[in-house]
Amino acid sequence: MNIRLARVDDLTGMQACNLQNLPENYTMRYYLYHILTWPQLSYVAEDEKGRIVGYILAKMEEDLSEGEEPHGHVTSISVLRSYRRLGLAKRLMVQSQEAMATVFRASYVSLHVRKSNRAALSLYRDTLGFTVKDIEKKYYADGEDAYAMRLSLKDLVR
Amino acid sequence: MPPAPNRALPTKEAKLFREVLNHYESRALKNGLKTADQILKKFPDHGETLCMKGLILTHMGRREEGIELVKKGMRFDLTSHICWHVFGLIQKGEKNYEEALKSYTQALRFDKENLNILRDSAHLQTQLRHYDSLVDTRHTLLRLRPTLRQSWIGLAVAYHLNGNLAEARKVLEQYEEVLKNVPDYDVEHSEILLYHVRLLEEMGEAKEALAFLDVNAKSRAIVDRIAIMEHRARLMSELQLLDAHETWRHLIEQNPDSYAYYRGYLANNGIDLDNITEDTRDKALQTLQEFSSTIPRAAAPRRLALNMATGMTSFLTPPSQDDHFRELATPYITAALEKGVPSLFADVKALYRDPAKRQAIQDIVEGLRDQLVVTTGPEPTTYLWTLYFLAQHYSYLSDHNRALELLDLGIAHTPTLPELYAFKARVLKRCGDPFGAAFSLDEARILDLQDRFLNTKCAKYRLRAGLVDEANDILGLFTKKDAASPGADLEDMQSLLYLTEEADAYHRKGNLGIALKKYGAIQKVFNEFNDDQFDFHGYSLRRYTLNVYLDMISWEDRLRSHPAYVRTAISASKIWVQLHDEPSIAQSKLSTLGDAKKAKNKAKKAAKKVQEDVKKISSNSSSNEDKGLEPQPTKDDDPTGSKLLQASDPLERAAKLLEPLRTLAPRNIDAWTAIYDVAVRRKKYLQAVKALNTAHALDSEHPELHVRLAHFRHTLSSTSEPPPEPVGQVVKDALAKLLPDEVSLEHFNTQYLQKHSTDGRAIVASVKVSRLLNAPADQVESSIFAVFNPETTLNLKTALDALAFLQDIKSPRVDEFKGTCDSRFERSTVFRTPSEQAALRWNAAETDAVNGGEDKAEVVG
Repeated sequence: MNIRLARVDDLTGMQACNLQNLPENYTMRYYLYHILTWPQLSYVAEDEKGRIVGYILAKMEEDLSEGEEPHGHVTSISVLRSYRRLGLAKRLMVQSQEAMATVFRASYVSLHVRKSNRAALSLYRDTLGFTVKDIEKKYYADGEDAYAMRLSLKDLVR
Repeated sequence: MPPAPNRALPTKEAKLFREVLNHYESRALKNGLKTADQILKKFPDHGETLCMKGLILTHMGRREEGIELVKKGMRFDLTSHICWHVFGLIQKGEKNYEEALKSYTQALRFDKENLNILRDSAHLQTQLRHYDSLVDTRHTLLRLRPTLRQSWIGLAVAYHLNGNLAEARKVLEQYEEVLKNVPDYDVEHSEILLYHVRLLEEMGEAKEALAFLDVNAKSRAIVDRIAIMEHRARLMSELQLLDAHETWRHLIEQNPDSYAYYRGYLANNGIDLDNITEDTRDKALQTLQEFSSTIPRAAAPRRLALNMATGMTSFLTPPSQDDHFRELATPYITAALEKGVPSLFADVKALYRDPAKRQAIQDIVEGLRDQLVVTTGPEPTTYLWTLYFLAQHYSYLSDHNRALELLDLGIAHTPTLPELYAFKARVLKRCGDPFGAAFSLDEARILDLQDRFLNTKCAKYRLRAGLVDEANDILGLFTKKDAASPGADLEDMQSLLYLTEEADAYHRKGNLGIALKKYGAIQKVFNEFNDDQFDFHGYSLRRYTLNVYLDMISWEDRLRSHPAYVRTAISASKIWVQLHDEPSIAQSKLSTLGDAKKAKNKAKKAAKKVQEDVKKISSNSSSNEDKGLEPQPTKDDDPTGSKLLQASDPLERAAKLLEPLRTLAPRNIDAWTAIYDVAVRRKKYLQAVKALNTAHALDSEHPELHVRLAHFRHTLSSTSEPPPEPVGQVVKDALAKLLPDEVSLEHFNTQYLQKHSTDGRAIVASVKVSRLLNAPADQVESSIFAVFNPETTLNLKTALDALAFLQDIKSPRVDEFKGTCDSRFERSTVFRTPSEQAALRWNAAETDAVNGGEDKAEVVG
């Protein structure tokens, strides 16, 4: 699969992919907000026909408290079930992290995952090297808790 | 016009009025309202205060009252820029951009240098693509605020949008000259410089672009390393600089799975990756091989090599020689099967265009299967994935029985792999058994209830089987619980997949009212996409992300080329045409109100975090009491679409839907036949013949075109009001070029049939034309049975089309036709009787696991 920076033209494909895979969905405006604010951070995986089969939608944290280091945040990442076991999520994540570190000097990247989502938890922890930093009570609209996870990017900043 | 005589307020009230403005700016709405009322108590006819009060009320959700006051205020003071500004804001909130811009233009007449109004005007001008006036507005803004970086960038972008790249460049260069004190590591400045590079590139100034890029990369003014390398590689290649390949290599090392980078690297060596020749093949393969060995984790070079390597092109070539393809494909395929990569078939399918490669792949996988059967090696899942692959392979080759056998073998081996059931569903769907397909996908879904992908697929298959309620039931397992219905949530979340499938399902069921509503919901999604850009006209200039902003503008301009829009616009136009042809349908459909409950309207409730983030896009942050200026969604007073069915202007609605396709889907023949169907009924004969002309250029023998050509001649010769001159002659001449005058329609039709006598689609088309020419019914009916001739190609879709035609003319031979199809299409259920289908439908949703699913999962798993 072809891995490349996401373009505006990809957003409908990313939205469709997200709706097929995950319970957290967003309107187009939110995708536009990401890509028009941080055009360097979102990536897609596309198949031979140019269909989006995986994506990472990422941003920089904007509301930093005093003294807080700049850091990236993964709003959403997913790969169609039929395209798993190709390591696409990892490939997408690596590209995005590199950009967070080099363009925005992010010192770490964070993300949230539903406590019940064991498959995702294992992807983030075991495959991508994230660690659980905190539990955010009732993070999701339906009242479920989230694990707040982090991965340091210190090695990438140059 | 002189100012309204009572505009000037006494000192005390004038101060209060300024407070109103301040309260509004900070969205202290209640205080604003109170203050406005204080003024109005003494001066009830003060236009500007009335308008401000109206605006505040609108923000507070008291829309009707508010707008009434704004209009009243306007009447008292037509020369106030405040009144016009307020009016423009209200119109903008209603997305009535044209009218809003007119109001802003009025406002500017009375206050020429008002920055807020000028900025808002610029955004409206961009939204409406009035680029000439945008340039003027941006000039004014720069003159008024020359020290603002935004003013300069705004003007440059305006010139760029207007196609005047040279001026854009001048403005940018002037800006960079006067620029002082850029902080280190300024991402915004970096983006502006990258825009400058793009501008030079678009102007064809590759050399200068590269020089500019290099200087600013070196000084670290441009901080986006990837962007630097990408531009650099492209520019160096264009300039044929020797060390371009080094930059391409760096990019590949950075992201070894980007096809574009390999394409660039190879192109730089004179190799066109998409067009390999005998001269370039070996070199290309060698290059990819080198990348594969230096970057073993990269998948792209191994996959790209499969495109280029040659298979056995001739049976005369001994197999040992020149079968580089097999040599590369064997480890590629084996590794993927051992790993259990579900997408392997989808991945290599593109190679099947070459029959030698297709055969090679079949041999490799069959060979592997034989081996695995013998050894029953340590990894039984490899065997399973091999069966899965082969099932897809044979189904692709239309050997569905073999595919099903393989899948059953797999399921017997391991009954817990959802992929096997999901693909079985697909095979059944291809066989014309939507009910069995839905059942099988539900079996897959139950094996992994946490997986939304399987849930979505299952819902889609249920919709294909006409199980609308049952589809919504399972969709609800993943949609927001507080939404009015699963469908309402998916509509809010702009799921084009769901909306399309559900609209099509209703369309197939003949429930045209709800189908039109759902198709309408898709139009609405695209309108929302179109509105979404508005805030970014300001936002992106503040953020300086100019390159991606320009990309967004161009995306918006092509928005309705999206397949979901194109397909559904055509489908909806067909319903409108049908309603025009037989207005009685609208009456008969009114009785089918059973689906009303699902069509209920929804409450908008997006996740909290999302709303907060999105608010950042608009410059004014809003508090809870502020409902904004957009009208709130109103209650749906037509849940079944019955009002739509009775619309008085079906053809105009269809024409409006199809309009974007002329430019955005110019190579889609279905679009042109749909455009014809509408134009000819609207008696727009010139448009009609132009559509036929375009369709003819795309595929002169297309069966749908054949029917239309005959229809057009027939219509012109039988109409009581022929097109007036000089148009009439132009239309006739144009048609004569496609269908010569001297050829009778009977002859035209016979000729066409003779030419395509073994094509089922052509047979159906010619029968439709015979019917148009009033051939006797029994003759028409018996000709359509020619689709069953042994040498005729007949696919499921054509058979269904023929059946629909027979049903349409109320033929007594419908059941006979169905019966023949039923035995012709083995395993199909679409030709069964309604009562048989009802039973199948019931069975298809039998495994429904909305409540009891978890128990079942345990049993199966």
